[in-house]
Amino acid sequence: MVLDFLMNWLAAIPGFVVPFALAALGLLLIEKAGVLSLGAEGFMLVGALAGIGAILGLGASPLAALLCAALAATLLSLLYAVLVVSLRVNQVIAGLSLVFLAQGLTGLIGTGAGWVNRPVDGLRPVPVPLLGDLPLIGQVVFRQDTVVYLTVPAFALVAWLLARTMVGLRLRAVGDGPDAADTAGIGVSATRYGAIAAGAALVGIAGGYLSVGIARIWVEGMTGGRGWIAIAIVIFARWRPWSALAGALLFGAIEALIPRIAAAGIQVPQYFIAMIPYLATLAVMVWTCLRGGGGSMEPRALGRAHLREDR
Amino acid sequence: MDAPSETAPQPARDGAAAARAIPPAHPSRRRLGRLSVGVRQHASARLQGAVLAGGLLTGLACAAAILVAAGIGPADLVQEFVVAIVTSPESAAAVLVQGAPLAIVGLAAALAFRVRFWNIGIEGQMIAGAIAATVVALHDIGPPALRLPLMLAAAALGGSAWILGPVLLRLRIGLNEIISTLLLNYVAFNALLHLLYGPWRDPENNFPNSQLYEPSEQLAELGWQNLTWALPLAGVLLLGGWWLLSISRFGFLTRIAEANPRMGEAQGLPMTRVILAATLASGALAGIAGFMICAGAEHRLTQSFASGYGFSGILIAFLARNSAPGVLAVALFVGTLFVAGQSLQVFYQIPASAVQLLQAVIVLCVAASDFFIRHRLRWLR
Repeated sequence: MVLDFLMNWLAAIPGFVVPFALAALGLLLIEKAGVLSLGAEGFMLVGALAGIGAILGLGASPLAALLCAALAATLLSLLYAVLVVSLRVNQVIAGLSLVFLAQGLTGLIGTGAGWVNRPVDGLRPVPVPLLGDLPLIGQVVFRQDTVVYLTVPAFALVAWLLARTMVGLRLRAVGDGPDAADTAGIGVSATRYGAIAAGAALVGIAGGYLSVGIARIWVEGMTGGRGWIAIAIVIFARWRPWSALAGALLFGAIEALIPRIAAAGIQVPQYFIAMIPYLATLAVMVWTCLRGGGGSMEPRALGRAHLREDR
Repeated sequence: MDAPSETAPQPARDGAAAARAIPPAHPSRRRLGRLSVGVRQHASARLQGAVLAGGLLTGLACAAAILVAAGIGPADLVQEFVVAIVTSPESAAAVLVQGAPLAIVGLAAALAFRVRFWNIGIEGQMIAGAIAATVVALHDIGPPALRLPLMLAAAALGGSAWILGPVLLRLRIGLNEIISTLLLNYVAFNALLHLLYGPWRDPENNFPNSQLYEPSEQLAELGWQNLTWALPLAGVLLLGGWWLLSISRFGFLTRIAEANPRMGEAQGLPMTRVILAATLASGALAGIAGFMICAGAEHRLTQSFASGYGFSGILIAFLARNSAPGVLAVALFVGTLFVAGQSLQVFYQIPASAVQLLQAVIVLCVAASDFFIRHRLRWLR
């Protein structure tokens, strides 16, 4: 009984981790270039709707739907980039407005196109031959869908990109000291545009995975604050990719546990259970603050617009 | 806008390349010229007004384009957003009814923003305030004559209690208040659902909302249309807010807290207390707004009474530049959007979220137009 519960829980975790992980990874990329990204929830929503829309409207396969999700979020992110990079709008106001814009837009399009509450065929688990037959590990790790398998390589890629390549060095330079980067001949605006577009694509896939991979349905406002939790994960991870994956694991584990608490016969009012992810996020943020700032990789110019003529 | 960086030398691959002199601009580019962005030190009032009007008009045009794209004829738009509001007393009254709580949440946001505290948790504070007021109503606390003042006080307390945690955490350990106040919205909303689907569910019809407040717990009508005492209450609070922000010593201190709290601290000014007072007042106002909606319009605690007000508050404070008279003007404008949006919902099946979209589009256009106030563009040949 306990083992069954544990196995079910563990096997569900990877699916719940993916949205947090990919969203946090995308946000990290944006923020490393010095751009605050409070619009995460908006990118996720747009990705979630685009994924379902691609399946229902275009008959796309689930993986193609995720590409559409990435594309849609990137399109929206270009608007954000124009606002905060070129027009230097306050990044808090722009980010918040973007979330509400996306909430309104997805609500309008989802209802207008009649995509609400229509179940779709989502991603299917792809068991890895041989490894999938292993006891325990096989069920938990090797009987997942393609996106789960690709998440860890995505982290490796971004971590390598940031730490070991010229592109990453420029990106970090722009995030840490845009003035100095500008003097060194790095195009600050172009780098930030690129980081925003690439990061938003990842966040969009995270949103698309929510609708296409997990829920297999579109409901208005279905991201339910996961974008904000992803922002908290980035802060908790101190802008380090692998720590962000650890944070995503924690929240994925919590979220996978929630539907299983009531099923296990534990009597807690359901709305109190629904509060757990948000309270856990708060607790993690408090812990991050108490731990102090040592070793943080926070971009020093985070949230600061750059203009050469300002100097 | 980022044209200047285009003429920058190619990114250096090694030290030697970096040491090279800046190459001359490409000949063709020199012929075409380029856009130069400069910082404008002083903008005249006329320029500011013109740019603001331009941004607002662009925003309205974008909003109208979205609604037309959603299938509403331009003539219907004018009818719903302008003619109906101006000509029918019902609609005008509805704008006032809608505008009163909007002005209060706008004021709440303005107070917090004045001390650089991003209060994104207005909806949570509204819910906390309304729950506190409903406790007073359901348990008949105090004599009926004092019930409403007690509910008001409870709402204010509930609202400030809900913001207290984020404020203390921000002041003591530097916790990012954007995230903390926002997360508490979800906590408050789930608490509301727990009450409405559990102990407070209406016993009469089993709907997930609280029992109807007794007449002594409802804000009385003024006698014209469906206006209630919520409107004078909002007027008094706005007047108080104006005095607080623009006249009082406290308002001056908030300006220092906004510009440079460290300098204020070094001058021996009570910056921490100013931030604490402004944010607690912000939470209290949000709670009162929740009370106004529940006691003035809904007459009970409902599931979604606060929905959408949080963002509107932020937007109102932003567009009003954190000033009380501005809050009043923008709140009436947003109230018009709300009212017209409700009729679009009924007659054109446009979802409620469309109103959010319109607000976001307008605020983004106005925010973007700020660029032309703060910067000077020139075409260099």
